[in-house]
Amino acid sequence: MSLLEVDDVHSYYGESHVLRGVSLSVDRGETVALIGRNGVGKTTTLRSVLQLTPPRRGTVTYDGTDVTGRPTHEVARMGIGWVPENRRMFSHLTVDENVRIATPPDGDVGAAFETVYGAFPELEDHRDREAGDLSGGQQQMVAIARGLVGGNETLLVDEPSEGLAPQIVEAVADALSAVAAEATVLLVEQNFPLAMDLADRFYLLDQGTVVASGSTEGVTREDETIRRYLSA
Amino acid sequence: MTAVAAVETVPLFAPADVGIRAVSKAALYVVIASGLSLIFGLMGVLNFAHGSLTMIGAYLGGAVMVATVSAGTGGVARFVLFFLAAAAVFGLLTGVGAAVEVALIRPIYDREPLFQILLTFGLVLVLDEAARIVVELAGLQPQTEWQDAIGTAPAFLGARYDILGVDTRWGLYAFEALVGLTVVVAILLFLGETRYGLYIRAGSEDAEMAQALGIDIRRAFTVVFGVGAGLAGLAGVLLMWDPRFGASVPLSVETLLVAFIVVIVGGLGSFKGTVVAGVLVGVVDALMSWLFINVVDFPGLPELVLFTVLVTVLVVRPKGLLGVAEVGGH
Repeated sequence: MSLLEVDDVHSYYGESHVLRGVSLSVDRGETVALIGRNGVGKTTTLRSVLQLTPPRRGTVTYDGTDVTGRPTHEVARMGIGWVPENRRMFSHLTVDENVRIATPPDGDVGAAFETVYGAFPELEDHRDREAGDLSGGQQQMVAIARGLVGGNETLLVDEPSEGLAPQIVEAVADALSAVAAEATVLLVEQNFPLAMDLADRFYLLDQGTVVASGSTEGVTREDETIRRYLSA
Repeated sequence: MTAVAAVETVPLFAPADVGIRAVSKAALYVVIASGLSLIFGLMGVLNFAHGSLTMIGAYLGGAVMVATVSAGTGGVARFVLFFLAAAAVFGLLTGVGAAVEVALIRPIYDREPLFQILLTFGLVLVLDEAARIVVELAGLQPQTEWQDAIGTAPAFLGARYDILGVDTRWGLYAFEALVGLTVVVAILLFLGETRYGLYIRAGSEDAEMAQALGIDIRRAFTVVFGVGAGLAGLAGVLLMWDPRFGASVPLSVETLLVAFIVVIVGGLGSFKGTVVAGVLVGVVDALMSWLFINVVDFPGLPELVLFTVLVTVLVVRPKGLLGVAEVGGH
């Protein structure tokens, strides 16, 4: 059984039917990319896993437990971290506080700091700075780090390269690559080569449903199916 | 607010008098607004019943003091009874606030903000009318300050002293400033040094993100609504001894307006903004009261100036002085 299973999920924003029967699975230790054009339901899929946008139909199963309809904080506490689009830092909290808040009440804050500053030494010099004052790349590192603490085994990562300069994207890709080596990752990424480089498998979404899936090995943007669904 | 009541015997030019009044009003305004600020900041709920809770707190505190203080009660004992009454009122209204959040506010979180406004406004009507009935049944005048409660203050607070050439209630104003400072420090320590304070600061910025990090934001909402209601009650107990305010049913609307001005000027989601705005509004109010009562005879103008400050901030800087989100955009 896969660590994360999304089965025939239908999700809505109000009356707008966004996900129309999405099914996918992610095995433990795997990195899976969700690709597709803007507005096809990639972010909504991640939100539905966390029950931020609870599915009206279908199920989400994590580590053998049906989490559909459960409160988001309970799902997160099962070991799922979220690195959202636009990073969503608590900009008025310091870097340390952004890490501390992600640590469970019974968790070891010292160990969380070690995890974060071990993985991202660059952040150590900015521990007491408000996160809103950091550069975009540093904020992305905090966002990834925040998703990692508390013993999270799975990361849902949404558009990590969005709005970053190319050299910063490279640093973030390195960081994600290191994370992916130890965690299970479901990645939404518009940067096609980056997504293919980081992921083991991919799901291609269009109009709220999975239209193709498979191994990322050897897949290029020129492949017929990819070109058809990714071209503007 | 209290411009008319502030006439007393202020000299034509009295910076010391304006200063001590400004300090006491600043402290009172911060305490009055602090609960509303926490609730508004974290939950985005505009609790119109905040002033009613302050009014109820003033009556409850007054009831404890009138029931326990006699002519022979010493000054120290009166202070002790005051702090016991304040603690009891804070605890009681915290519990009531938490129950109101669970029973009434929680079911309508997913609806438009208008529902919350209508609900809390309905609570104002119910609470103020219920208070008026109870106060009348107790043989008191609901429209005027409860003088018996004011009379339970220690002589040191009730008396006027001539210091720096100014004859005023130095003891009362200094006491209010001290209690206000203590409340502010306690809230700042709670927000800055405790895990729950961290949740509140984070949730004020992005409640959804906080949930996704494993924080039970609904429980935080209950705690904060309860503490906010408790702080409203605490403010009422503090106002109960002050002849410029005193326990009366109109205290509900009077303190609600002050709280709104302070929270909006300070900025949504920022308790530090509330403190800064409370000081600013307190100083402006004291200065304008002196100016428009002693120099130019327009007793209603201090209130007009405060509302002008509010409107100016909303137009020029909708986030408020230190806010983290625009008012109405939470």
